[in-house]
Amino acid sequence: MTEYLLTYIIFIPLLASLVVALLPKRFADSYRVIALVALGLSLVLTVIGVSSFDSTASGLTNSEASLQMVEKVEWFSVNLGSLGRFSVDYFLGVDGINITMLLLAAIVLFIGAISSWNISKKRKGYFSLYLLLSSSVLGCFVALDFFLFYLFFEFMLLPMYFLIGIWGGPRKEYAAIKFFLYTLVGSILILIVMIGLYNSVYDPVKTGAEAGMFEAAASVTNEQITEVQKQVELGNVESENIVKSFNMISMANETNYLPDSFLSRSTGAQVFGQSARWMAFLALLIGFAIKLPAFPFHTWLPDAHVEAPTPVSVVLAGILLKIGGYGMIRTAFSFFPDSAYHYSWLIGFFGMFSIIYGALNALAQKDIKKLIAYSSVSHMGFVLLGLAALTVEGVTGAIYQMFSHGLISATLFLIAGVLYDRTHNRLIENYGGLAHQLPKYTVVVTIAFFASLGLPGFSGFIGELMVFLGAFKSASFIGAIPMWMPVVATLGLVLSAGYYLWTLQRMFFGKYWVKDAAWHDNLKDLTLREYLMFVPLIAMIIWFGIFPGTLLDLISNSVEGFTHLMVQAVK
Amino acid sequence: MISLLQTNNASGLKDQLGNLSEDVWMLAPEISVVITLLLLLGFDLLFRKNKETGLAAIAFCGLASTFTLLTFQWVNFSTDFMVMGKLLRYDQLSLFLKLIFTLGGALGLVIATRNENRNYLFRSGESMVVLFGLLLGVFLMTMSVNLLMIYLSVEVVSICSYILTGILKGKKKSEAALKYLLFGAVSAAVMLYGISWLYGFTGTLDITSQAFINGLSEVPALPLAIALIMTLGGIIFKLGAVPFHIWSPDVYEAAPTAVVSIFSTLPKLAALTILFRLVNILPAEWFDWQLILGVIALASMIFGNFSALWQKDVKRMLAYSSIAHAGFLLVGLIAWTEAGNTAMLFYGAMYLVMNFAAFLLVAIMEKHTGSSTFEDLRGFGTALPFAGVLAVVVMVSLTGLPPTVGFNAKLYVFSAIWEAYQVQNNPVLLWVFVVGLLNTVVALFYYLKLPYYLFFKAGPETISKKLSATDHIWGTIMVFPLLLWFFQSEWLMDILNSINFVF
Repeated sequence: MTEYLLTYIIFIPLLASLVVALLPKRFADSYRVIALVALGLSLVLTVIGVSSFDSTASGLTNSEASLQMVEKVEWFSVNLGSLGRFSVDYFLGVDGINITMLLLAAIVLFIGAISSWNISKKRKGYFSLYLLLSSSVLGCFVALDFFLFYLFFEFMLLPMYFLIGIWGGPRKEYAAIKFFLYTLVGSILILIVMIGLYNSVYDPVKTGAEAGMFEAAASVTNEQITEVQKQVELGNVESENIVKSFNMISMANETNYLPDSFLSRSTGAQVFGQSARWMAFLALLIGFAIKLPAFPFHTWLPDAHVEAPTPVSVVLAGILLKIGGYGMIRTAFSFFPDSAYHYSWLIGFFGMFSIIYGALNALAQKDIKKLIAYSSVSHMGFVLLGLAALTVEGVTGAIYQMFSHGLISATLFLIAGVLYDRTHNRLIENYGGLAHQLPKYTVVVTIAFFASLGLPGFSGFIGELMVFLGAFKSASFIGAIPMWMPVVATLGLVLSAGYYLWTLQRMFFGKYWVKDAAWHDNLKDLTLREYLMFVPLIAMIIWFGIFPGTLLDLISNSVEGFTHLMVQAVK
Repeated sequence: MISLLQTNNASGLKDQLGNLSEDVWMLAPEISVVITLLLLLGFDLLFRKNKETGLAAIAFCGLASTFTLLTFQWVNFSTDFMVMGKLLRYDQLSLFLKLIFTLGGALGLVIATRNENRNYLFRSGESMVVLFGLLLGVFLMTMSVNLLMIYLSVEVVSICSYILTGILKGKKKSEAALKYLLFGAVSAAVMLYGISWLYGFTGTLDITSQAFINGLSEVPALPLAIALIMTLGGIIFKLGAVPFHIWSPDVYEAAPTAVVSIFSTLPKLAALTILFRLVNILPAEWFDWQLILGVIALASMIFGNFSALWQKDVKRMLAYSSIAHAGFLLVGLIAWTEAGNTAMLFYGAMYLVMNFAAFLLVAIMEKHTGSSTFEDLRGFGTALPFAGVLAVVVMVSLTGLPPTVGFNAKLYVFSAIWEAYQVQNNPVLLWVFVVGLLNTVVALFYYLKLPYYLFFKAGPETISKKLSATDHIWGTIMVFPLLLWFFQSEWLMDILNSINFVF
């Protein structure tokens, strides 16, 4: 039943995007319906996938055996002469690390589609780009072939560029190009490592078949694979017969590196006077840190958020940032565990710094959307800190934090959108005592703010708690980050309570006052459509805050496998 | 000719002539080009009125027959062969290039038919005749293995290019043509001087002969470097790489779009072939050409990309982008491996397709707005979404992002250079690898300027919202492969892999 599930999840939005693009203008009203139905379908299929996910399966993140819902078909294989064969697979699959991200993406994209309901300008372009973006985001989370992953990763930039640049606010062009250029720098760094990696990693199964060691069609046993690896190790396989691989799971497995290749651990090759593996790790890390974003690569984020239309902000904060964190876990940390350990203090430091820096910036903001954007930078710092800890709790916390931040930041940007829709103004200082005028809205805002500042009972608390548990344990357990980093980072919690409560007090409590009297008539409380977005989001935030087990069960085995490999590599 | 002169006795001459007549079959495509050229000339003289249809028919028939002959030769290819007394070389590399050049020529004519200005090529025969002269020149360039023949074929292409740039009246066109001529003349002189040194060192002009290599091996490093760099000068001029690139923006802006599309591709790839043949016979121990070409490649990418940022005209921007692409074309060559050669050829072929697609769209835009400056293209994409989307695809492909074939091309050349670095450990290769890839970011900035003006800026209401059916079809035909080949690049790669580069 789940055989082609992932393909359906990715391609239904793509198909819908084509339908929207080809449908004549007189059906303009149906575009949003198509988008909603397509993303609803994807969401339903994702939920089916999650419910059929076997959380008891073993979770070594470098073994294909621990993947579920695998689809693997050869896409193309190009002979590059002395370079060997260049083989790309259409390879999808989920494990505990990306199943949560897939679920998050499906939820937020669906909410985004509801939020897009009242887009009125150039609807055809908007919905077809939004669906295209959805398809590439979903694909990015489940693609396990580096080439395929990179395709989805790059491909989401273009729709995003247009979505911000055409439907955005006053400085949309600047924000759009800044977003594109920043992210592209990151993706070029990733591309550099990708080229280096695929020249270093081979596929033992395909190589064995190419070298005639066994029939291609026959089911290959583990002994045969070991035999191929032994022969390659001894240099007995002709270079034309070696099939280079983009498989992200094999890349995480040391035995699949060619013996004399640049990025294998045994070679100790150097680039620019540094260990090649360290440099490759840093390149991947920076590439994804730009997407995350972490200090000092975060400056595109406030611009992009402020200028983007509400649904795009929701998708950007809710999902796109998570690709940064997910990419780090799946690539940088998995491929180069030794380098990750070597640089863990650096990652931890920038995590800690982002937490404090983002929070301080948020304190200083006048625009509520900018405040939320900086709070995202601060909250993504927890992801880095948790990852740097290299402990089970820390990594679990990082993933949990990404999931919970996805829901919470989506809610927060929708909140900013509600206000902007009514008054076209987002400055905090222009409002006062909104609780009198908009009581229901105020309830939603209060819940979202408290969830975001990490109050127990909401999902944000679980994520941050686990990150801190892991980070404090790290010093004694593996020695990845020193104790003072989580100590300083706790300051971030205080600061975030500070900016949220202060904002709440300034905007919603006290005497009712708005700067422009004309706004008063437009300030109506939440509509049905807005309830449809807020109620499920808040329900989920509370659910995952009270029953963290729902999510932790999915994550835990894979994270254990992941940290096990880390510890092994460090020893 | 040279070998002819070297044989003194009469019987030797007779043999040589006998060989020449046998060689005619190998040169059938060239002969077909020449016959077309003569027919065009004759037609132009005989008829006075309504020449357009006749000229176009002759030109397309000529290209079709050339293409058929080339395909026939490609299919029946058995072995490499030296023709015309070792002046030219008949091999798969040149056949492949000539095939894509013929296609390129045809696409260039198609672009000319899409343009307002189309009378330029079709009303009077001169331009068309010169265009076929250029085609003959690039054909010969791909085959030349003799220094004199290299010089002659480069000059044939150059002279035809000067004429094509300046044949229309206009101050800008004359200025561009004169600039082009002066630069061309200087670089040709430099090249000829370099060749004379090489001839002095070795006593032969045949670069494939053992005497040539032996002669060079005895020359001290400095004079050898001077001679080779001077010889490279003329070729780099045709390639349009730094430092012989200054002519290109003016020429691209002034010349008609169809002609520019041909300028930007055919001579470049032909020059690359000559460069390839030249450096492949030089063992790297004598002359570190990897370093020199590496510097040229990097300088071209950086200079081309950064200058393109400031351009206000699409054609000028594409001119600078072509300088940058000349750098990328060199990357595969610098790798100096078989995979590098294949990747270079793949990049070259894809560059040709991308550029023709880009100029086709420029021609369509010019037809609708009467100009090719960014300012005048505001809102074009909103008015004509189909053409706008095609333009976005082409720009993404030129940048080298997925899902377009520009990404595959970039991936292959940079994979090749990385692999070469792993083996040769030459730091130049690493620099080319890293800086070359990072250049993509700069490139994105200006390539996105076109979508930016097409879609983000509101334009005047005057742009006609109707795209002719023919434009639709040609746009699709030229742009669709860019997407298709991303998913199935092995089709082309298998063909390229069958090419034997060794000689």
